[in-house]
Amino acid sequence: MRHKTVVLYTLSILAGLVLWELVAAQFSKVVLSPPTAVATHLYAHTITLELPRLLWYSLGHTALGYLLAVAVAVPLGFLMGRSERAFAMFDPIVNALYSIPTIAFVPFLVIWFGLFFQARTALVFIMCVFDILVTVSAGARNVERTLIDVGRAFGGGRWDLFRKVLFPASLPFLFTALRIGMVRAVIAMITAEMFFAAVNLGKYMQAAQNRFDSAGLLAVLTILAVVGLLAQEGLKALETRLLPWHVRH
Amino acid sequence: MSRVQRVSLQCAGIVVTLVVWEVVGRIMGEALFAPASVVVKEYLELLRDGTMLAELLGSLQQMLVGFGLACVVGMPLGIAMGRSRACDVLFHPWVSMFVVISVAALVPLFILLFGSGFAFRVAIVFMASAWYIVLTTYHGARGVEPRFLDVARSFAASRGAVFWKVLMPALYPYLITGARIGLVHAIRAMVVAEMYVIVGYGGLIHKTGLNMSTAPLLGLLITLMMVSLLANTGLYVAGRRMAPWYEERRAGC
Repeated sequence: MRHKTVVLYTLSILAGLVLWELVAAQFSKVVLSPPTAVATHLYAHTITLELPRLLWYSLGHTALGYLLAVAVAVPLGFLMGRSERAFAMFDPIVNALYSIPTIAFVPFLVIWFGLFFQARTALVFIMCVFDILVTVSAGARNVERTLIDVGRAFGGGRWDLFRKVLFPASLPFLFTALRIGMVRAVIAMITAEMFFAAVNLGKYMQAAQNRFDSAGLLAVLTILAVVGLLAQEGLKALETRLLPWHVRH
Repeated sequence: MSRVQRVSLQCAGIVVTLVVWEVVGRIMGEALFAPASVVVKEYLELLRDGTMLAELLGSLQQMLVGFGLACVVGMPLGIAMGRSRACDVLFHPWVSMFVVISVAALVPLFILLFGSGFAFRVAIVFMASAWYIVLTTYHGARGVEPRFLDVARSFAASRGAVFWKVLMPALYPYLITGARIGLVHAIRAMVVAEMYVIVGYGGLIHKTGLNMSTAPLLGLLITLMMVSLLANTGLYVAGRRMAPWYEERRAGC
């Protein structure tokens, strides 16, 4: 069954590529390059290590921003999820801030952090922190009451309850939060490189746009899609490995 | 916790935030982070001036075209993928790829494809929201209780009747949740696209960011926040009206 799915998905991707090739033939190369041209571009610039090197540089601010967001959002999420008072107080504020499109903070980040590494890290941080916070607090709120009651009935202290009941019961949500945050971080990675001083992959895209090179743009998009999917699927695989009792549909 | 307690805590949270904002704003100064009192004054000015609301209306109209298209395409596609294995296999890899792609990274390509006018903004909004709508609808359509369908079939309901009287009502909550998630992404994408080519409301944010004072910038963000919250609440209320059995359903994307 699994095997069959892989084969079918591959066929679907191939069919899509053929369709793209046929559509692209109707357009000028400037506007829409065919997949063959994108593959050639990718190959040529990967073999010289140019694209891998740029991607590596891009991961710097992404990883830092993501880790900071996890470090802030996970404890706060637990606090908000487990304390009715904290939830009532801060949920409206978090929702209000969350509903502002992150990109609109860019002018502020320029004022506070300039145009380079710090500003990019800050944008990644803001883009992931709310998604993680909201998911963790929803998860911590929904931990089954009976589990905690049983822990209490057996005389578990606060710390015991947290470590042996609450934490394991929250792991599925924690993983979902990490995964959503990770995808947001990859999205934020390129956004940050385009909206502050253009660097790394962002600069590469800008250069491609200026010389009307749609193959170059599509090559970067392909890399981004693959990195995003790898991050997401990697965390899913890790979750299945570490939390075999939790079945995700 | 009683309702009164909850509401008073919520109010307390808002008051605390405003006070912290005021104090931090006073310390940092207007050029870095304008305090709440200054922003309120500036906000009235922005409302009287009218540019903000005019730009906002123009941007929202274009955004709604893209979002409408995304619903028209995304909802049937999601249902088809959820109910037919062939459609699922055919589209799933592409949908999961499109959903992880950053909107910002699409902007340069779409400028080459569509220029930087109306078509460009509609296309960006479409690409940003359609796939979330598809995935939410898909999860709903897959999860429809087989028992409901069996009952309908055993009462000899036609295919059309099963679709309109069983499947669709079961899907309402997901369609509405999909639309809500899609709308949030549509608004985000609108601002991204407009800030890049410096037009409309996003362009206004960009230009205002160059001011000496941050008060008007904060005012623009507040308006954006209110639009987003209003749209979200509006869809929620509409959902409750249309389908009283509606409750929040979150589909993991």
